[in-house]
Amino acid sequence: MEEVVGAMENGKLVRSVTRLLPIVSLLAVVVIWQIVVSAGLSGHLVPSPTRVAEQFWRMLVQPVGRLTLIGHVCWSLRRVLTAFLVAAFLGVPLGLFMGWNRKFEAVVKPIFEIFRPIPPIAWIPLAILWFGIGETPKIFICWVGAFVPAVMNAYTGIRFTDPLLLDAARTLGARGRQLFLEVAVPSALPAIFAGLQNGLSLGWMCVLAAEMVGAREGAGYLILLGMDMSSPAMIIAGMLTIGGVGAFIAVGLRYLEKRVCPWLRAVTG
Amino acid sequence: MTERGRARAAAQSYWWLSGLSLAGFFLVWHGLVALGIVPTTILESPVKVAQTFLMKLSSAYPDGATLGQHFKTSLTLALTGYVAAVVVGVPLGLLMGWYRTVDGIVRPLFEVVRPIPPIAWIPLSILWFGIGLPAKAFIIWLSAFVPSVINSYAGIRYTDPVLINVARTFGASHWETFLRVGVPWALPMVFTGLRLSLSSAWMTLVAAELLAATEGLGYMIQMGRTLARPDVIIVGMLTIGFAGALMALALERVEGRITPWRRS
Repeated sequence: MEEVVGAMENGKLVRSVTRLLPIVSLLAVVVIWQIVVSAGLSGHLVPSPTRVAEQFWRMLVQPVGRLTLIGHVCWSLRRVLTAFLVAAFLGVPLGLFMGWNRKFEAVVKPIFEIFRPIPPIAWIPLAILWFGIGETPKIFICWVGAFVPAVMNAYTGIRFTDPLLLDAARTLGARGRQLFLEVAVPSALPAIFAGLQNGLSLGWMCVLAAEMVGAREGAGYLILLGMDMSSPAMIIAGMLTIGGVGAFIAVGLRYLEKRVCPWLRAVTG
Repeated sequence: MTERGRARAAAQSYWWLSGLSLAGFFLVWHGLVALGIVPTTILESPVKVAQTFLMKLSSAYPDGATLGQHFKTSLTLALTGYVAAVVVGVPLGLLMGWYRTVDGIVRPLFEVVRPIPPIAWIPLSILWFGIGLPAKAFIIWLSAFVPSVINSYAGIRYTDPVLINVARTFGASHWETFLRVGVPWALPMVFTGLRLSLSSAWMTLVAAELLAATEGLGYMIQMGRTLARPDVIIVGMLTIGFAGALMALALERVEGRITPWRRS
């Protein structure tokens, strides 16, 4: 009996140690980082964690360039969200029709296939040539980034509709539009959502690239400014902010997904 | 008729529509330029793009290197970073997914780094390594590393517990179970990771070359912009797209060879 209790406590101990491990490991890295930098082992190009935190705080309260850190992030977000909304409203219907109607597919798919493998970032030079250096080229590049996954996922989502469901609906007398709207589209929703998620995170990546090539505001501009001023603390603080926003977007979308289609969890496991 | 046969028949019956659509696309493009609706400083006709492509095969004009040289530079860089990332990332992901302790130590660090897009590392790596090869190789390594790890991790994490128990019952050690059950089970997901890594590496390469390079496809399209030569840009973009698609296809072939049980 005592042995059993001992084993159980042992198991509990192991489990709580495993749970603590992440915190310990993160703390250890920060502490080692701090020690290495203060001992002067890393040269001037690696700032200490306290230096990064200080810089982060300074950017929050004092403007860098024209805006504070939050201002820069909001500016980038505005570009991404504008592009994302346009891409979703154009891309999802296009993908759905492409997956549903064979004639439409035959017309649109070959043209789409020419553009699909070109990474959105490779559009930057052409976009600047076309639209100058204002807001349009940045939004255009994010749009390309978000548009391709939106179309592709809607397309494959519809194409992989369970034929059994379609046949069942047909047997019950559903035709054309009803079959499309009430069977095919709902069954494609998980794929559509996955596409939108990919699109948004790709858009967030593209806006950085676009802002690094030429901008006066935004998160990408901020870290490039850090490079020009050779201030690694500023770059790292900016990078952590960018990562934080990206993670926040991902979590937000997952929450939205659960709200909009609760049956999703059963589908994706 | 089987489902696939029917699909093929349907696709065949509309091939003429596809042909018409492509022809229309190129005609409209050509017409826009030829009729002067769009100036040639912004867009060149498809004919001119094809001419520039042929010219770039042998001529270094106007951006300092032939298309082949740019291509070779980019490909070497991308593959170096990619292979290095896969060699480190896949084993790390597999170990993270299999051993709780490795997971506990590595994952939190990984979760901090993961949401930062590889492109955001460009300024820091230029500051650290200068604008030469090491900076670009580092960024590309990073961009391919993250998907390699995540997919290997997820793949082995969901190993069917029944299989693990069977292996254990037959006396396999923890390590043996990992190697003979966990890894084969994870392979399809690992390959998904390899595919994502490849496209991520190829995309990041372009970004790195746009910002800091003296040769390479990204540099070529950037020079095309500086010189206002849309034909050079489009040749570069199409080469980037085509090469990316070709590499993805090659990887798919390898995948089919290594995991033949996947097809069924």
